[in-house]
Parts: sequence; structure tokens; C-alpha cells
Amino acid sequence: MIQLIDVHKSYSKDHETIKGVSFEVHEGQIFGLLGPNGAGKTTLMQMIATLMKPTSGQILIDGLSADKSLLEIHRKIGFLTNEIKLDPLSTPNALFDFFANLYDIPKDELRDRRDESFARFGISPFAEKRINELSTGMKQKISIAISLIHNPPVIIFDEPTNGLDILTSKQVTDYLKELRQKGHAIILSTHIFSVAEELCDDIAVLIDGSIVAQGNVNELIALAKANTFEEAFFKIYVENHKE
Amino acid sequence: MFLLPAIFLVAMLNVFPLLINYMSTGTLTQKPVTVVNAPESFMRYVDDTLEAKAFNYNFMTITEYKEFSKDKNEVRKQLRKGMIICLFDSGDIAKSFDDEVRDYYDEVSLENTEAESNAVIYVGFDANSLTANTRAATFREAILEEYQDSLIDYLGGDYSVIGSSLFETDTFNPVTKFEDFRTVANKSASRVVSGVLMIMMYYSTYSLVIDMFASERDRGFMDKLILTPVSRKKIYTGKILAINVIVTFSSCVTLALLFLSSWLNRNNDAMSLLPFGMMLTPSELLIVLFSIPITALLMTAICVSMVFALKNIQEITVNLQLPLIYFLGDFFLQMFRGTRPTTMEYFIPVHNTLELISEAFMAQEKAWHVIIVYMLNLGIALAVLTTTFRKEEIK
Repeated sequence: MIQLIDVHKSYSKDHETIKGVSFEVHEGQIFGLLGPNGAGKTTLMQMIATLMKPTSGQILIDGLSADKSLLEIHRKIGFLTNEIKLDPLSTPNALFDFFANLYDIPKDELRDRRDESFARFGISPFAEKRINELSTGMKQKISIAISLIHNPPVIIFDEPTNGLDILTSKQVTDYLKELRQKGHAIILSTHIFSVAEELCDDIAVLIDGSIVAQGNVNELIALAKANTFEEAFFKIYVENHKE
Repeated sequence: MFLLPAIFLVAMLNVFPLLINYMSTGTLTQKPVTVVNAPESFMRYVDDTLEAKAFNYNFMTITEYKEFSKDKNEVRKQLRKGMIICLFDSGDIAKSFDDEVRDYYDEVSLENTEAESNAVIYVGFDANSLTANTRAATFREAILEEYQDSLIDYLGGDYSVIGSSLFETDTFNPVTKFEDFRTVANKSASRVVSGVLMIMMYYSTYSLVIDMFASERDRGFMDKLILTPVSRKKIYTGKILAINVIVTFSSCVTLALLFLSSWLNRNNDAMSLLPFGMMLTPSELLIVLFSIPITALLMTAICVSMVFALKNIQEITVNLQLPLIYFLGDFFLQMFRGTRPTTMEYFIPVHNTLELISEAFMAQEKAWHVIIVYMLNLGIALAVLTTTFRKEEIK
């Protein structure tokens, strides 16, 4: 579903932020990008979401490349980052209608999706409240609901649980598991071990713009000859990080 | 370092009047008032009165003045540079100005109701220059009127004791009066309205661009829009059109309010900011109205390109506020300048709209000015937008 082939990105001539990254994410799979701050996770996620172009290499979403089928890709992806802040003066209802219009979602279908999505995240009581009157957790839940309004087969989550309280975080992770069961291909970036350990079927460790190790939790622990996943990550990090 | 803004402000406060004087007269210094054929009474008045020393005087005899005025071009040039000429004429070559006034008072004191004075004080200046206009008005009111009042004591003799004040009546023709009102009002409006509109337009444009482009990008909402199945070009064009409609509407409301201010003003004094009677013909109004969305588009294009060129929202806000200083400067220069715009000024984007609107108020609009201003501003706006969008697509 998501295919990265030797992707490079550099903002300046003498420094490469992403160095030849390649991997694949299949339907019904959660792929985790684990790395410290500044490793290039957000850059990579933004390139997959077509917000940025790679300097070289290819990114395919369901076999489509952004150069030729950009708008078609936009129908297939849902992108969420904790950096997104919604229009403070809008209401969840108004935002839902606005984005439904942009995605050409028919009115009766929109009603069903809204009911289902608002009920799941407990948005309904706040549907007519302004965004600036809502809590951070509620804003994030509304943001998720809007990002997935068009039921995309590919979901890109950049640090999805950052800044959320335990309850909201649990709701989000449960929802991701449910989406995996429904066959969505999910790629998420995180620096939180527990999230990666709990959710991801396949994890790529990104350090200084390169994938230095890849596999499921057990494979990574075995590879690093460690006892825990956390220990495995630190071993991999120490071995590969250049000062 | 913290004193720099204050030093800059003080410097500007000193430079600005010089600049206005230069724009109005073409010189950096104030010209003395050239007094021709000054009578003894005036020389005595200048010596004795403190107020009279507010002006410098260059005294000329009538012979010297005749010699000087032989070269008409030189006279015109000096007038354009702010020269004010005050000429005392007794109406009779053989008689002095003072004698003519003294004879008149003698006649009045003998109760001669048909007494008439041929003495006239002419004040010559360049009527197109606001500075010269103001200086001449001040000279007349502060110096000549006081001087005339002093004459009755100095030359009036018996009349100064027994005389009574004379007064005049004026006739009023509503039609010609209305034309006079319009002429005075539009002349003032040409200095004020265009500048106010430009500042208003830019202020609305920059606020909306900050809100609809910079803030949305800063909080990540722009990314959410870009990731919908609508092309970037359509999203940006929609936002720019929305900005254009709001700015045009708010500018039209501002224009209507300026007209209302003029019509509610009970004063038709040329020195009033918006004197009573401001009016435009339909074609003049259309020129003004069409120039608003075109200029707003150019301003939007410049602001949007700046937003895309810079990353930090504080940096963007500061950089977008800087042109406000330019528009304020342009407004004040337009308000005080006495010279007509040069041809080159119609090729300066945005500033040319200010000149075009002023021209429309002065009923001096030229077809080629309108075409140049519209085409140039529209062309630059589209070129800037196309380049900016293309750069955005490449990222």
C-alpha cells in the first residue's frame, strides 16, 4: 500500500536529512517509525503525505506517485499530526461539513459518518461549541475524526498520542487497532516505546535520517541482544548514532 | 541601542518638513517674501511689530521689480519654488501708496460717501502649491490685515477718531456656488482620499493574509486543506479571491464614509481635511472603483509571496507591517506636495494608484494613465502570484 524506494531528502547541499530510506507498509499493518527527536521522522512522514517532495527516490501510495496522481493520492490518505490546530472559531459540526464538501461526500453518507465518528470519540455534546472552548484531548479527537472523514485506506499519523492524557491516548490507540483490523495500512511515527511496542507490527528505527534496523519487537530485541525493547533501542542508537 | 528609535524619530521629525518643502517647492529652504514698492508705513510696521518678523523680506523698488519680471520664465520658476510677491500699488504713478490711503481717509473724515481708494496690495504666489498657498494665507492674515488695521492710526488723521467701520455684502448663486464647493472639496480630497484608501486597503489585505495564509500554515491547518483532493492552486486562488472581495468591499465602505464626512462637513474651507461638496462624475467614480480590486490584488500578491518566503509568523508579521510605513509616508507626501506627479510615478506599482485616484478627484484623469496603472498593477500581481505558486509546487 505504501512503498518507499531509496528516498533521499536534503534541505541544503552539504546536509542530507533523509538518506536512502526504503520500506513497505501493507494493508492491515501498523508500521512504526521509531527514532529520537531530529532523526527525520516528521520529514519522512510529510514526504509520504505528499506535503514535501523527496530530493530523489520514489514514494508510491497504492501504486500511485505524487508527481502524476497527487489528488488521487489525497483521496487515499489521511494525515494527522499533533501540530495541527483547527480553526479556533469554528465548531466541530462546521468543520466536518467543510471538509466533507472538499472530499465530495454525499449528504446522507456524511450524516452516518458524522454520527459514527462523533459517537466513538464523544464529540456529540460539543458539536456546536467553538474549538477554542474545548480541551486539548477533544481537539485532537476532532482532528482525527476530520482527518479520517473520507475513510482513507492509508493512514499517516505523526506522533499521534503526543500531549494527550492517558484516557484519550488509550482511545486513540484502540481506534488504530480497530482500523488495522478493517484492513487500513497505517504508518505512525513515535518516540514513545510503549506505543511502538503495543501497536506496531513492524518497526523501523530511524537514526540520523537512515533506517538502521527493522523488524517486529522480538526481532529487534534479538538483533540487539537485549532483554527489553527499550534496551534494544538504546543499544541500536548507541551503535549507529554519529556525534 | 534602545535610544535608536527615538533618535530616528527626532531625525525624521526634522527631515520631514524639509522633505515636504522640497516636494512642494523644489527647494529645501523657505523663500523670503519679496516686497515691491514698500511704503514707509509698511517699513515702519515691519520694524515695530514682532509678528512681522516671522517672515524674511526681500525689498525691491518698482524699477528693480520691472527688471526682474522681464524674464517671465524666471518669475514662473521662482514662484514654483515658493516665492511670494507682495506689491504695493497706489493706482497713480505720481502718488505714493501712503499718500493715496491718507487722502482716502481725509475724504472719509469729511463725510464724503463717494470716497474711493485706488490703493491695492497684490499678493502673488503659485496657487498649485499647498505650501505657498498656506504661507500666502498666513502672510495675508497675520501681516497684511494687521498692517491694514494699523494704517488707520498712522494715516487716518481725523477719521481714526470719528470714523466707523465699513462692511461689504456678497451675492449668492446656488449653481455657481456648488461648482465652487466641488472644486475646493475635490482639491482637498485629492490629497487625502487616495492616501486613506491605500492605507485602509493595505491594512485589510495584510491582516487577512496573515490570518488566511500565515496563521493557518503556522497551526498546520493549511496542510489539512492541501491534503484534500483540491489542488493547491485552487485553494490559494479561493483564499486570494476571498481577500480581494473583503478588501474591495471595506474600501468601498471607507470611500462612502469619506464622501459622507465631506457632505456632513459644514465647512468648505480649503484648509479643512474634507471640505463640504466632494463629488465625482460617474466615469471618475468608475476609475476609482476599478482601481481598488486591482491594487488589492497586487497588495495580496506581495503579502502572499512574503508569507511563503518566510517561515516564522513573527517575522512575517513584522515584514508585512513595514510597508505600512511606506503607505503612511506616501499619504503625507501626497497631502503636502505641491507638484504634479511625474510620468515615471505612473510606473511605480501601488503608488501609481494613489496618483490615479488623486487625478480622478482633480478631474485631470488621462486615458493612458488609467491603462498603464491597471495593466501594470494587474500584470505584476499575476506574475508574482504565478511565480509564488510555482515555487510552492516545487517544494
